[in-house]
Amino acid sequence: MPALIEARGLAKTYRLGRVDVPALRGVDVDVQPGEFVAIVGPSGSGKSTLMHLLGCLDTPTAGRYQLDGEDVSALAGKRLAQVRNRKVGFVFQTFNLMPRLTIEENVALPLKYRGGVPRKERKRRAVAGLEHLGLGHRIGHRPEELSGGERQRVAIARALVGEPAILMADEPTGNLDSKAGGEVMRTFEALHAAGHTVILVTHDPLVAERAERIIQIADGQVVA
Amino acid sequence: MNVFESLLTGLDEARRHIGQTVLALLGIVLGTASIVTVLALFGGQAALTQQYLAEVGGAGTVIVGDLPQSPTPDARALASDRLTYRDAELLMARSRTLDAFAPGWEFYPRYQANGRTFTGQVMGTLPDYARINPIIPMAGRWLSDLDIARRSRVMVMGWKFADSLFDDAANAVGRLVTIDGKQFTVVGVLEREEFYFAAWEDNALEYRNERAYIPISTAFSQFTNHDGLSFMTLRAREGMVGQAVDEIRSLLYAQHGVEDFEIRPSGSFADGDSAEFMLLFNYIFLVVGAVSLFTGGIVIANILLASVVERVREFGTRMALGATAGGVFTHVLAEAMVVTLLGGLLGLALGTALTGTVGYLMQLPAVVTPAIATLAVVTSAVVGMVAGLYPALRAGRLSPVEALRYG
Ligand SMILES: Nc1ncnc2c1ncn2[C@@H]1O[C@H](COP(=O)(O)OP(=O)(O)OP(=O)(O)O)[C@@H](O)[C@H]1O
Ligand SMILES: [Mg+2]
Repeated sequence: MPALIEARGLAKTYRLGRVDVPALRGVDVDVQPGEFVAIVGPSGSGKSTLMHLLGCLDTPTAGRYQLDGEDVSALAGKRLAQVRNRKVGFVFQTFNLMPRLTIEENVALPLKYRGGVPRKERKRRAVAGLEHLGLGHRIGHRPEELSGGERQRVAIARALVGEPAILMADEPTGNLDSKAGGEVMRTFEALHAAGHTVILVTHDPLVAERAERIIQIADGQVVA
Repeated sequence: MNVFESLLTGLDEARRHIGQTVLALLGIVLGTASIVTVLALFGGQAALTQQYLAEVGGAGTVIVGDLPQSPTPDARALASDRLTYRDAELLMARSRTLDAFAPGWEFYPRYQANGRTFTGQVMGTLPDYARINPIIPMAGRWLSDLDIARRSRVMVMGWKFADSLFDDAANAVGRLVTIDGKQFTVVGVLEREEFYFAAWEDNALEYRNERAYIPISTAFSQFTNHDGLSFMTLRAREGMVGQAVDEIRSLLYAQHGVEDFEIRPSGSFADGDSAEFMLLFNYIFLVVGAVSLFTGGIVIANILLASVVERVREFGTRMALGATAGGVFTHVLAEAMVVTLLGGLLGLALGTALTGTVGYLMQLPAVVTPAIATLAVVTSAVVGMVAGLYPALRAGRLSPVEALRYG
């Protein structure tokens, strides 16, 4: 099977005034379909930077990146937005739900941005996704009425609704207590068991342990 | 992004900044209302003026009169006979651009009738006068070509004279009137002419009710030994006013050898105080309207800018989920337009009420036409677009990572 992610020499250098800040200094990453990978490393090592490149939220300053067979390192603007929308489901540390939308409206957002999915269909898929993650009883609620763990599961449902090739999460348990964090991790495990490809960033060893494979980063480079 | 969601978010943003929103809304409402009122009143004014022009001789009317004589006339000016009946005959014979000719000679003799004595205006003219001016006999008839040819001593009276001399205007027909000792028979009485620019103003056409018309040939033969005219009222053929003015000028110039006449096509009429007052009134309203709209727009731009800065993370998330820069741009713009459109609609309602009130109090025919309503709504939408432009550009330029790192 071809690799889902094939990154070679990925580098990202930020410019702060006159100073170049190399956040990532040439990283090779391969992820196979169905894998569950954790990216770990000390704070400031470049985990988020790598995740953003892999999730097409940002473009590398050097290197080549093939996602699901397509070279996306040179894409920008609208094309990149499309790749984000179709290939990647992103989960954030702070959930990032729209406070004014109900949870099913939140979940349906990626389908809305995709265009061409009728409203009814969007709603149906959003509701199905929420039910699948055990949130059926919360339909019609707003994010503020939910617990942290529930919110993060809504965010996961949103990441999944567009049937992306890969699910990415940056410190998904970072804002949760251990009980809620455990719930969220069980959700990721279940999704992995169901065949989803999952990459998550964490600096919690207990979280990283649940993954199949660990990529260790230090100072902008892969160390293990 | 879906427009409906943008509208809802826009309303929500408006609610969250309710104080500023009310301020902005107030600006937009007042601005739109002022503009609606001004345009409605202005439209009413224009319609009135149009109507008045039609009353005193509609489009196509050309009036020729003597220019005041120079205090130091040269030989040519002295040689000119000024405006005469011969000029009118010349135009009748030679003009290709005119189709009605009413030379007039006015004088102010003493009348005697029914045992009363009056001084008033008498105008000698031709039957064509009634083709150019809306003259309608309420009793009897108007002057005829036969009257002209026979130099008959007949008279058509304006309503007011007939009414005050004979108690009832309709009674006048067939009665005798003495003008400077010469007896005339009243053959017709005209309908009363009325026109009010505003309820508090006098009848702008009353002077027409206070005059009597006699055949111009009779006037010349009975009361004078010259053939000088007070004026000529002419009518140009359809769409030929411009050519008519040129033609009249060259024909009369050839006759007089000097340009001692003035030619006034209709429309060069300007009403006095009332129009100036309305103009001032309109200006004030327009300035108030523009300032209010401007202020409202600025406040809205501020609200949006603040909300864009506050919501950087939200826009970043939307982009991470697949929203394009253009989508985010449109979203913010739509938010701006929700508030201004709402303001525009409220302003339209207020403006309509205001127009009704002002129109009623001032007895002016002011109507908020569909065109004005459309313009009001479009204006408010445009204010929203302009106000939202910069905030929307800022939001659209965010990159998803930057937006997510923020805060
Ligand atoms: N927009 C930016 N401009 C400048 N420097 C940046 C920017 N984003 C990240 N950096 C720098 O790049 C390096 C890597 O940052 P990154 O956020 O990837 O680290 P991280 O491993 O995710 O850390 P943490 O565990 O604290 O989240 C850091 O030194 C950071 O200061
Ligand atoms: Mg990080």
